[in-house]
Amino acid sequence: MQRRHLLMLATGLAVAALVRPDTGAAQTVDVDGILRDPAAPTGGNPKGDVTVVAFLDYNCPFCKTSAPDLARAVKQDGKVRLVYKDWPILSEASVYGAQIALAAKYQGAYETVHKALMAIPGRGITKEQMLAAIQTSGVDLERLDADLKAHAADITALLRRNLSQAESLGLRGTPTYLIGPFKTSTLDSAGFKEAFAEARRRQAAE
Amino acid sequence: MIFPSPASRFAALRMGVRRAFRIGLLALVTAMSLGPLPLAAQSSGGFSHLLEKPVTGAPFSLKVARAAPGIVRLNWTVATGTYLYRDSLKASIAGRPVPLDLPAGETKDDAVFGPVQVFHHDLKADLAGLPEKGRLDVTFQGCSQDGICFPPETRAVALDTLAVGPGLKDGGMQDAAAVAVSPVEPEVLPQVTPETGGALADAGALFSAGLGWTLLAFLGFGLLLSVTPCVFPMIPILAGMLTGAGAGLTPRRGLLLTGVYVLAMAAAYGLVGAVAGWSGANLGLSARLSGRAGGGTLGRAALLGFGSALIVGPCVTPPLAGAMLYAASTGDAVTGAAALFMLGLGMGLPLLLVGLFGPALLPRSGLWLMRAKQVFGVLFLAVAILLAGRLLPPSVTLALLGVLLMASAGFFGAFDPITGTSGAAARLTRGTGLAVAVYGAALILGAAGGADDPLRPLAFLRAPAAMAAAPEGVRVTSPTAFEVALRGAGDGPILVDFTAAWCAICKTNAAIMATPALRARLEHLPRITADVTTTNEAARALMTRFGVVGPPTLFLVDRTGRELPGSRIVGPLSSEDLTRRLDAAGA
Repeated sequence: MQRRHLLMLATGLAVAALVRPDTGAAQTVDVDGILRDPAAPTGGNPKGDVTVVAFLDYNCPFCKTSAPDLARAVKQDGKVRLVYKDWPILSEASVYGAQIALAAKYQGAYETVHKALMAIPGRGITKEQMLAAIQTSGVDLERLDADLKAHAADITALLRRNLSQAESLGLRGTPTYLIGPFKTSTLDSAGFKEAFAEARRRQAAE
Repeated sequence: MIFPSPASRFAALRMGVRRAFRIGLLALVTAMSLGPLPLAAQSSGGFSHLLEKPVTGAPFSLKVARAAPGIVRLNWTVATGTYLYRDSLKASIAGRPVPLDLPAGETKDDAVFGPVQVFHHDLKADLAGLPEKGRLDVTFQGCSQDGICFPPETRAVALDTLAVGPGLKDGGMQDAAAVAVSPVEPEVLPQVTPETGGALADAGALFSAGLGWTLLAFLGFGLLLSVTPCVFPMIPILAGMLTGAGAGLTPRRGLLLTGVYVLAMAAAYGLVGAVAGWSGANLGLSARLSGRAGGGTLGRAALLGFGSALIVGPCVTPPLAGAMLYAASTGDAVTGAAALFMLGLGMGLPLLLVGLFGPALLPRSGLWLMRAKQVFGVLFLAVAILLAGRLLPPSVTLALLGVLLMASAGFFGAFDPITGTSGAAARLTRGTGLAVAVYGAALILGAAGGADDPLRPLAFLRAPAAMAAAPEGVRVTSPTAFEVALRGAGDGPILVDFTAAWCAICKTNAAIMATPALRARLEHLPRITADVTTTNEAARALMTRFGVVGPPTLFLVDRTGRELPGSRIVGPLSSEDLTRRLDAAGA
């Protein structure tokens, strides 16, 4: 109960700050691209009333901590649409992780690979460890490899779009979750649920 | 995260207890501070308000100052609520890591990942012995306690002005244009292994144990030299000096005179050492000596040998060559001078006895002295060859040793006729001499056959058979060449073998693969040999492609170039290991 009040307070304060008009908007924010990039992998309910956009890196400890919480909250809520934005910023291996996860999308296994990569404990994970993790995930590796080669240009283009979107939003690091009108980072399962509810309330009010 | 020690296992246990509490706290803190920042409603105006950036500044900043002459101090500012990973703080010059002497850091007992060392507060690290010019690259990465990790940051520090500027992009996808382009690093010299580094490691080994031991060792060498005919040129001088002092010569006076003489001689040697070190530093020999490959090694060897022989004569050449090689490679004139000073002192010490007890103590010349002279002569030549061998091709060294052995065998009478009256000693000497001659001949033959192992000079005679049995496979040095080789390698599993000329274990592995048991299996297996002898960008890309840390690494790939799970062997190979992996892959 107390948390909700705190959340509300934070919201109120921030809304007051947002009344100011945009200044110096050098980069235009591609709202449609952020929410509805057809190439971006999605999860949850495609017809959900709240959209969560998750900017993630496979070498980011907080992404790993919050990944199962987010998955649980999205599943329990049932009406949340989840958009994955692979934003590999932390290491070279992060780029590789993003590439193989996106390649798995072509066989409908993005979330399988995503889950496997997020489940590797630790940071500074190497490509080798990532590969080992997805080998036991049940994904068709032959297919993945073929898709990785065949769609290399598409995957690179998507990663570039994600990067420029993140830059246009001025995101500072991973994880960043856009939950409806809110921007947040690591939350636990209850925190996500709270944010979903708050986002709904706000959307309904407008 | 691994929990190797009992201490960290205990930490892991505590973690379970703490976790519930921590997650609650984390959520609270998050909601309070970072919180879901409301940005804009999607229904009206979309995300335009996301342009509102947080007002908080950069989480980390780096300042560099000179703490004392020759000491550069790196100061990191860590904003409240954020932390830097201790293992992410790195410094390098032209791609070569510069070790940072960092404080211990605080242990962050992460709920999921176990303990990591972090810095929550500002910290500093002092660097000494940096060049006065050039660029120091510093990287660091950290997170906020609110649960967000910032991209790695790099800074370029100008070492002359200590100005901090933005560094080269590093790590992940920092720049939209840089995706799929691996960062370009300056080429680094091949990794120093016992084999490549040998030239310097051997010479350096004497010195690395600490200056005290170095000096003691050279004093010992000097003492050894003093029991050779090397001191003979000094004796007449010394004797003349002592006799010239007249009848009033007391032992005390004699000792003083000799002492001054010995000190002056040692000082002369010290000067030579200093010159070696100084010239090494100024000619930039250190950089050139660290790479064995490339032209000019013969010339350099000749220069060293000629120079040292010219300066002090044959007696001190071997130790001097060692000292010069070291001094030249490190540019450390002080150590070079001190070492050779001690050498001179060691040589002179027995002379002090002469000064004390008069010339009567001097050994009388005789056959034993002749023999000693011959034996030491051969030994010194051998040492000289071995020292030169660090710069010469191995087979040339082998040939030189062979020639020396043949010559000395003749010298010691191996080819003299034996008569009925010859005694047992003469016969034994001749037998030994013949054995030495045969070994010397084998070395020369071996050198002619391209061998480089003095213990197995004739191994090359067997080599062609072994080579045929264990084909090397297609040799590639870049990812592109690998792909081409892969296409021509057929359908079945393909053996990929990362190797390098300087990798000693790779040679042992090759010998194991040439054994009859494996030979038969490997004969029909397509094989790609990735040669990473030169650590350039292509080699690094090739290693990165397969996550190879270094040679020897061996694994099987399928025809698409994907590594077969569980097929990898890193390091020394055993016949059973490889057989098991071949079985598993059906190769």
